[in-house]
Amino acid sequence: MLDIQQLQIQLGDNQLNYHQQINSGEIVTLQGVSGVGKSSLLLCIAGFIKPVSGQISWNDTLISTLAIERRPVAMLFQENNLFEHINVLKNARLGTANIDDDAIFAAAEELQIAEQMQKMPLQLSGGQRQRVGLLRTLLRPEPLILLDEPFAELDNQTRSIAANWVNKIARAENKTVLLVTHQMEDVETLADRNWLME
Amino acid sequence: MFTKPSNIIGLFFILLISSITALAFQGLIGFSQRGADLALLEDSYFHSILLFSIKQALLSALLSTVLAWPIARAIYYYPNIFLKQTFLSLSLLCFVLPTLVLITGFVSLLGLSGFITPFLGEDWSLYGLQGILLAHVYMNLPFAVRAMHLQLQSIPDSSWILARQLKFSRWQRFRLIELPSLSANASLIFGFITILCFNSFAVVLALGGGPQSTTLEVAIYQALKYDFNIPEALTLAWSQFAIAGVFFLLLYRSSSVPWLSKDSTENIWIPNIGKATKGIYLLIYTGTFVFMLMPLLALLPGVLAANYSVDLIVDVMEALSLTLLLGVLSAVLAMLIAYCIMLPIRSAVQRRQRRLQNTLQWLANHTLIAPAMVLSVGLYILFLPLIDLDQLGIIFVLILNTLLVLPFAIQQIRARVLQYDSDYALLYQSLKLNLQQRIAIEWAYIRPVMLSTFALVLLIAMGDVAIFSIFGNDQLKTLPWLIYQYAGSYRIHEASFASAILLLVYFIILLKIERAKQHA
Amino acid sequence: MNKLLTLCLATLISSHSVVASAATDTLTVYTYDSFVSKYGPGPKIKAAFEKDCNCEVNFIAAEDGVSILNRLKIEGVKAKADVILGLDNALMFDAKETGLIADHQQDLSALNPTLSWTDSQFVPYDYGYFAFIYDSTKIAQPATSLRQLVDSDAKVIYQDPRTSTPGQGFMFWMNAVYGDQTNAAWKQLASHTVTVSKGWWEAYSMFLEGGADYVLSYTTSPAYHMIVESESKYKAAQFSEGHVSQIEVAAALNTSSQPALAQAFLKFLISAEAQAILPVTNWMLPVRKDTALPDQFSQLITPKLVELSIETAVAERKNWIKDWRSSAAK
Repeated sequence: MLDIQQLQIQLGDNQLNYHQQINSGEIVTLQGVSGVGKSSLLLCIAGFIKPVSGQISWNDTLISTLAIERRPVAMLFQENNLFEHINVLKNARLGTANIDDDAIFAAAEELQIAEQMQKMPLQLSGGQRQRVGLLRTLLRPEPLILLDEPFAELDNQTRSIAANWVNKIARAENKTVLLVTHQMEDVETLADRNWLME
Repeated sequence: MFTKPSNIIGLFFILLISSITALAFQGLIGFSQRGADLALLEDSYFHSILLFSIKQALLSALLSTVLAWPIARAIYYYPNIFLKQTFLSLSLLCFVLPTLVLITGFVSLLGLSGFITPFLGEDWSLYGLQGILLAHVYMNLPFAVRAMHLQLQSIPDSSWILARQLKFSRWQRFRLIELPSLSANASLIFGFITILCFNSFAVVLALGGGPQSTTLEVAIYQALKYDFNIPEALTLAWSQFAIAGVFFLLLYRSSSVPWLSKDSTENIWIPNIGKATKGIYLLIYTGTFVFMLMPLLALLPGVLAANYSVDLIVDVMEALSLTLLLGVLSAVLAMLIAYCIMLPIRSAVQRRQRRLQNTLQWLANHTLIAPAMVLSVGLYILFLPLIDLDQLGIIFVLILNTLLVLPFAIQQIRARVLQYDSDYALLYQSLKLNLQQRIAIEWAYIRPVMLSTFALVLLIAMGDVAIFSIFGNDQLKTLPWLIYQYAGSYRIHEASFASAILLLVYFIILLKIERAKQHA
Repeated sequence: MNKLLTLCLATLISSHSVVASAATDTLTVYTYDSFVSKYGPGPKIKAAFEKDCNCEVNFIAAEDGVSILNRLKIEGVKAKADVILGLDNALMFDAKETGLIADHQQDLSALNPTLSWTDSQFVPYDYGYFAFIYDSTKIAQPATSLRQLVDSDAKVIYQDPRTSTPGQGFMFWMNAVYGDQTNAAWKQLASHTVTVSKGWWEAYSMFLEGGADYVLSYTTSPAYHMIVESESKYKAAQFSEGHVSQIEVAAALNTSSQPALAQAFLKFLISAEAQAILPVTNWMLPVRKDTALPDQFSQLITPKLVELSIETAVAERKNWIKDWRSSAAK
């Protein structure tokens, strides 16, 4: 269980407060107007933002004091998910030492990016890049997955393919997923629960 | 900050180089049993050298940066200009050219019976402020051109596309795209050149033309060497340290993290230029090319006049091998240390610990500011009675050369690694890569910069004479030292020959590195 | 690259083994760099002395005479040298103050009487007169006095008195000739000085490149061009006021563990054999009166000495430098 206890984050002049429990294996979508602190929360769970107060635990272990590298978290950022100077396949292999290339290609096939694997990131479209990031984040071994607007650049058809793939993998691997989205459709396809932030 | 092993290694190196400087000062103070001679601060002679040091440094830097700007634009906006790669390699050569070679070239061009002198009118003299400025601009202008060109090149294609789509006027393009890309680094370039020229030594001694052109570094040399007046040397050294140090601090505080983009492989949307502009750019470019080549070509007649013998060739080749060996060792060490030193600095940048970042940067770069003469003489005094410097001096040559090229290495690597962090720090941390993976990915990103930096520091280290003159021994001679020796025993033509060989090796290294970079 | 590395290492190792192979007594000599350079006197002097001494001469070269003295000051009684070689008659006084210099115990009767050498610690081994060198194909009527040169508009290069012994010698010369009027003379000279260089060779090579009409050097410089390059156009201008001499000296240190060997080396330096080597390698004049010289030396000028007490000059040095600093500035 992900336990967010009385968490406070300073964002500019605003103080954001969070208090929430999320069960293991649950997929939760995060919604709310811009600036309400959705991304900040994900970054805080991943360890990139220091909270002012409060704590985060995972399965009764305090993780908010751990180094980024030691948290059980895999995160997809809104941007800058790929190293531009190495090719897509090499990018996909990073952090996914637990699986072999066949598994990567199988996933790429499903996400319709198998032909892109030998290219450099700059040669890909925004939507393709986003799927490469998504692929890698879900295939990583960490149990807690944080996705910051993962489908923002996808067309409707690809969007539903990607969402279904996320759903399938997350359920199969018993991942706990926190997913920021503006689309109700994503909530319907994926979410066990929708967390509406105010 | 103080817990990660990588940071600790970096901090260790910063501590190490700072202690070496402290030891050098300690060597001087301990030997003279006295601190600085403060009475000197009231001496009008001191004021005049202080003013002159600052004046010539600011003028040199101003000329170099201002003149570099149109040249950098010319190469950027005229992408298919002829021999562009050679031009850029040559620019680097000018920056690292051993001053003794440069000065010989200038004298044969612009000295009393130089090739060009007849066209310059009756009153022309190479010696004095004009000579100093000319040599400083020759060394630093091409460096500034390279740096500015790199800045321009990093303007992302998307900016130009956007500019097109928003129908920017020329003025808007300049103000909104070109200027911001340059201004962040222009102040750094200006400041860097100012500091280099402020500490200039060989050029000022050779082309100064008399006591009116004395810089602090020259005065330190004179005080230490001929009067062995350590208190006076210390006052001068502290003054130089303080002024250059404050200047350096201001510079780094005011500069933002370089405005770079992710590597854009394509530059197809650079605005087109008209025929007339093309002509002007071609003219500027060709003019600069000629300016850079002339002093080098002027060495040729001397080379042809040398008395060639097997002996001469063997001596030159032996000295060359030692020069290469020492240079490569110094450069490799400097690169490693520079990289390690950047680790805690990067970590401070990421944590927005501005003060810590500035302190570390200042310490890491302080050998750029510290008077080289004080470093070497101080260590010499300290260690001469303790260990056998006649046998081990070569190790000091290596260490001191490494220290002196270190700031150049840091200066070059810094922008690139900070850029890497600003783009990818979140990513590589969240991916939990192991050390090996992190190094492999980062290496792929910084490799071109590492290669050209390696070439730069290698060539600077290879050109050293000042340190070798103190710590070197007679069995092992470097090529620049051999040149001094030839010249010192009337063998001027042999000296030209050796200079030409050194120059040739420099150019080969530069071309090789450029090629390696392109294959990177 | 690998081959190159091997070569480099081989060079390193082989030159170290030369030093390490000393089986017999070693005589350590501090000297200056151009003395030991390949074309300098060092290698020949070493070979000639080692022939009979059953010892090995180990030269340790500093950059120049001043550096030898500085090293001595730093090391004090820990100095490794048995003999120091390469100070001159001006630096000599400073060196004596270290208290490290032994008496020379040499019979100096064979020395040239014009040197009138009486010092009991330092032995002169060669000498020269400072002089301005010019290219006789360009200047038909050279200056015949220092005053004439100063008053002319000929382009002159000389060395910085703060960093070079010829420069310092020239400063003495100017003061000896002009006395109270030296400051005005410096100003006058500055108006047609091309540059003031750090050391001798910078000035001399600029001159050879055509950078000036006159360069400050030694009366013996033309001998080099005549003997090595068969070029006779370079000549020294003889000045009627007389010239300043520079006498290069050597001495044994009283900290030496081999005083006898050190004395033998001093004796050798003024022997006919060594004296014959020095003029054509160090390009200075021999101190021994009966030394046979190559013909070309007879074509050199033989100047008289200017009236100058070297002790006074050394004592006044600092003040004179201050005067020069302010007067010679343009």
